[in-house]
Amino acid sequence: MRRYSSDWYWYYAINYTLVIIIIFPIYWTLISSFKKPSELITSEPTFYPHDLTLQYYDQIWNFDRLKRLQDTETEDSDSSGVEIESKFRLDGEGVKRPFINSAIVSAGTIILTIIVCTFGGYALTVLKTPLKNFFFLLVILPILIPGISLIIPLYKLLKDLGLTNSHLGLILIHTCGMLPLGIFMMRNAFNSIPSSLREVAMLEGSSELKIITSVMLPLAIPGLLTVMVFAMYVSWNDYIYAFIFINSPENTMLNISLMKIALGGSQFEMKWGSLTAGSIVSFLPIIIFYTFLQQYFVRGVTGSAVKE
Amino acid sequence: MNRLRKEQLVGLLMVSPALILLAVFFLYPLVNSFYMSFHKWPLFGKPKWVGLDNYIFMFQDERFWESLKFTFVYTLTVTPMLFVVALGTALLCNAKAWGTTFFRSIYFLPVVMSFATASYVWLWLYSEMYGVIIYALEFFGFGGEKKNLNVWKTGTSSMWAVNAMVTWKFSGIQMIILIAGLQAIRDDYYEASKLMGASRWQTIWNVTLPLLRPSIALALILSIAGSIQAYEQFVIMTRGGPSNSTKTLVMHTVDMGFDYFKLGPAASLGVIIMIILFILTVIQLRLFRKNY
Repeated sequence: MRRYSSDWYWYYAINYTLVIIIIFPIYWTLISSFKKPSELITSEPTFYPHDLTLQYYDQIWNFDRLKRLQDTETEDSDSSGVEIESKFRLDGEGVKRPFINSAIVSAGTIILTIIVCTFGGYALTVLKTPLKNFFFLLVILPILIPGISLIIPLYKLLKDLGLTNSHLGLILIHTCGMLPLGIFMMRNAFNSIPSSLREVAMLEGSSELKIITSVMLPLAIPGLLTVMVFAMYVSWNDYIYAFIFINSPENTMLNISLMKIALGGSQFEMKWGSLTAGSIVSFLPIIIFYTFLQQYFVRGVTGSAVKE
Repeated sequence: MNRLRKEQLVGLLMVSPALILLAVFFLYPLVNSFYMSFHKWPLFGKPKWVGLDNYIFMFQDERFWESLKFTFVYTLTVTPMLFVVALGTALLCNAKAWGTTFFRSIYFLPVVMSFATASYVWLWLYSEMYGVIIYALEFFGFGGEKKNLNVWKTGTSSMWAVNAMVTWKFSGIQMIILIAGLQAIRDDYYEASKLMGASRWQTIWNVTLPLLRPSIALALILSIAGSIQAYEQFVIMTRGGPSNSTKTLVMHTVDMGFDYFKLGPAASLGVIIMIILFILTVIQLRLFRKNY
């Protein structure tokens, strides 16, 4: 690129315009979730909230408690004949329970993936496991067939195992989906560690488990973080499995509960307020991960796509 | 027991959780999807062998062809959109300039958001009357005097609305792939092209793009394979409507299996999707092996 100053002027003008376009939907959702109903639903949109409110967050997070309150209020007003001014009618769904469910499934997937992929990667790299290469090919086979084409037999399987409607079923399916990339990453990580380290530890009489946890894993942390971040990405962002395999309200995942908010809502402003607040709640954990572990995120997410 | 024996046993023990998971949650469903597609699955009682009946039923179903057609139209429209944005941002981020790391991390940001959340976010942006995009479009004179613009009114406008969201959400991944390709191009080429007096566009067109071909192919295949699996964005944003005009293959499969409880035809749909994606992935791996 030839360096004329006007070129650089254009370069940054284009880049910053793109940055604004990319950020805008997120910014708009964020400020919408804090706007008072009268400001949220208006024909003259405001580009920053003039009056902040947490009422949508309060509604979606404390839905159950508010619902109970509202129910007792209605009963009271019936019996006493006094009309209680209700600020809004509760619609949709609370997200507290679904948030916890999603957190359980994500944490479970991360932990199980790390255990399975560490041991698997270790056995297929460092140890003289029989049929090593065959097992490795088997483990990376799922990259040829995305899980989405197996939803019907997977549903049948979970049903037969009694794992529909359970967190465990989702955790196992996500972990299985993580195997190709996870074992591949861990294998690379262990491969780059000199074998002499293990030999020294063995001479000192360490067990294989001790060698993994105290010698190998500390050196494999970049690989481990990539696997962890990607397991988080896959399980937290899942929609289709959570939609098909879970069907009781108390086990609903976060992304599905937001759908109920989007579908319901006789009151326009509460629906959009709750939906934008819910979107922020569901984006928050993953954006925190992204902020601190960005390079692993980029490697994990594109690695999964490229299937190196 | 000698040391080698012990190590082999420990190795098998350590790899067994992965193998068991794989056997139960991948290999068995894989085999079973073929088995299921050749059987009739009544709500009660044993499955019955029906040969190719499920496939015949599926192929005679108009909804299958409609969803297949829509999936292809969606794939063919969203792929160029994704590619143009990804290539543009990749070229911008590959310049030797201050701030490229920052720009790259912002361009990648929407990728980390889930498709579901991104759909909810854009549902609000497109919301009738109060959505900011609708407001902007009406401001610039779309939607006529009455100002009743609704992107979900027709199938075509719904699809373009979703395409815009997907481009925003997903071009970051392809950008990273293209950046990796760009970084592999040696500076000599650019210097030679500069010495020959080529303009910037000539350099991009005659030097960069031809050398980038493998990464471009990879990015395109990726976008095609991803679009064929499209589900969340349409379930959430259009719900397949208006009048089933934006129903994708995966949506049709889910409807068939879980709304109509026709597990046999649904399984055969799964097999069809599997075959399409399998072919694409094989091409993708070929490209990758050949060029890296």
